[in-house]
Amino acid sequence: MSTTLVEMSEFLQKGRVKNVKELIQKALDEGIAPKTILEEGLLSGMSVVGEKFKKNEVFVPEVLIAARAMNAGTTMLKPYLVQEGVESKGTVVIGTVKGDLHDIGKNIVKMMMEGKGLNVIDLGVDVSAEQYVTAAKENDADIIACSTLLTTTMGEIKNVVDLVKAEGIRAKVMIGGAPVTQDFCDSVNADSYTPDAATAADVALSFCL
Amino acid sequence: MNSMERITAMLNHQEVDRIPVYPILSGVTRKLVNATYEEWATNADVCADALYKAVKQFNLDGVVTLIDLSVECDAWGQKLIFHENDAPHPDYSQCIIQDIEDYAKIKKVDYKQSKRMMMHIDVCRQLVEKANGEFPVTAFVFGPLGTLSMLRNQEDMYMDLYDDPDAVKEAVGEVTKTLKDYVNALIDTGIQGIMFDTLFASGTIMSQDMWIEMESEAIKVLADVCHERGVLVMIHNCGEKPYFDAQIEATKPCAFSFLHPPAECTDFADCKEKYGNKLGLIGCVPPPMVVTSTDEAWVEECKRQIDIFAKDGTGYMLATGCEYPSGSDFKKAELMVEIAKTYTPYKK
Repeated sequence: MSTTLVEMSEFLQKGRVKNVKELIQKALDEGIAPKTILEEGLLSGMSVVGEKFKKNEVFVPEVLIAARAMNAGTTMLKPYLVQEGVESKGTVVIGTVKGDLHDIGKNIVKMMMEGKGLNVIDLGVDVSAEQYVTAAKENDADIIACSTLLTTTMGEIKNVVDLVKAEGIRAKVMIGGAPVTQDFCDSVNADSYTPDAATAADVALSFCL
Repeated sequence: MNSMERITAMLNHQEVDRIPVYPILSGVTRKLVNATYEEWATNADVCADALYKAVKQFNLDGVVTLIDLSVECDAWGQKLIFHENDAPHPDYSQCIIQDIEDYAKIKKVDYKQSKRMMMHIDVCRQLVEKANGEFPVTAFVFGPLGTLSMLRNQEDMYMDLYDDPDAVKEAVGEVTKTLKDYVNALIDTGIQGIMFDTLFASGTIMSQDMWIEMESEAIKVLADVCHERGVLVMIHNCGEKPYFDAQIEATKPCAFSFLHPPAECTDFADCKEKYGNKLGLIGCVPPPMVVTSTDEAWVEECKRQIDIFAKDGTGYMLATGCEYPSGSDFKKAELMVEIAKTYTPYKK
């Protein structure tokens, strides 16, 4: 692999926005394809962060600064990717369920999914079943990802699953959040429960392949 | 034994007549007095009455005044949103700290200007009076870094810890000065203990080194006030892999309320082995089970916790690992108390 991309990945893991942007420009000047820069410079760096996060080797602040660097990089690279006709690996509609305003867990899952090359549409917090389904239809989403932190709003997940089935859309429903368990996932017939953000991103990617 | 005697014995690792119990009934107690969440969280008479009723009605062995996590940030004028049936929280669209430069604006303030802090102090005063020495009253205080996060929002504050750690630390120092006066005022009410919430000292959030750097010194200042004035120090941390050693080092607590095994342990049994003779252990029944489990599974989990933590018959309080869900009924709380009273394998 190009040393520029290796350096880019390392700076991304440290959350160094300025260095990442400089190295993207350097890589473009060296004639490296935008898709290669994305995958081997940016996404590979975020993937390392995801694995370390899963193993408790890095924590929430480190994930956030790495994701900020990745976002700065992908924003800079976007026009070149569009020009090259690079497509995302899949589409996810994500949100925190109706009645719940917590978003940090959802945001970390979103960042991890983007780090896998997925296109993630963030509906924010307090999202109703109808909003999830409408967005999934409009974007032909592969996945609907529901987050909740509150025991009081867990029931909303069942409303989302039921509406997805009733509307007959193809999106898989993934769920997560502090009070959610595999037993709960089974009881509401969701497609997947994952205990952490990095695993959620891995499973989401597997659903899209 | 009455509850005061039972808890005192438990904390001193002496024999108890039965395992003490406290299913962290907080916001849910508003239902006992037909109050909205907002009334319960803002009116000291209503809140104290509800918490006292819960102790009496369900035979709880104490009370912890966990109202919500936005009591302390009120002192800096943080705008809060109140709900009829949910806990209050900051209006994150109008945070006091909008930008990293705004940390410099955070200075020590007079806690007496905060309606919410004064309300909490009044709740403690009323509960101490009502308890009349029969059960302990423990005030709940959100730690300095947690309080600061309510003035900023957690996500931005986490990045600020990298972008300008000195600015964050300086503001933590100012918050701590305010909390020190507040802690003294809480102690003046006659409470037996203070439980500090050290939310960030766990593997769920940040590294142990970062927590030590950012909050341990500040929480030590507050714990020292308690030690100097003869009030018990307890820690609550419901994150995964809480850093027990670092927090013990900083605060020298007599008890730890937790939900997950500590970072230093492989599981709960290991936790009992390592910390059982140093700390009163409080927990660790998962609150989501109140909503998701059957009564049978709940009872089994309570028994499992007693089997692990109370095998020597002391040093343990059966409790939920965090607040009992505020939208639930009291059935599971009643079952937990019943188990504490009747399940006594440690007496064999």
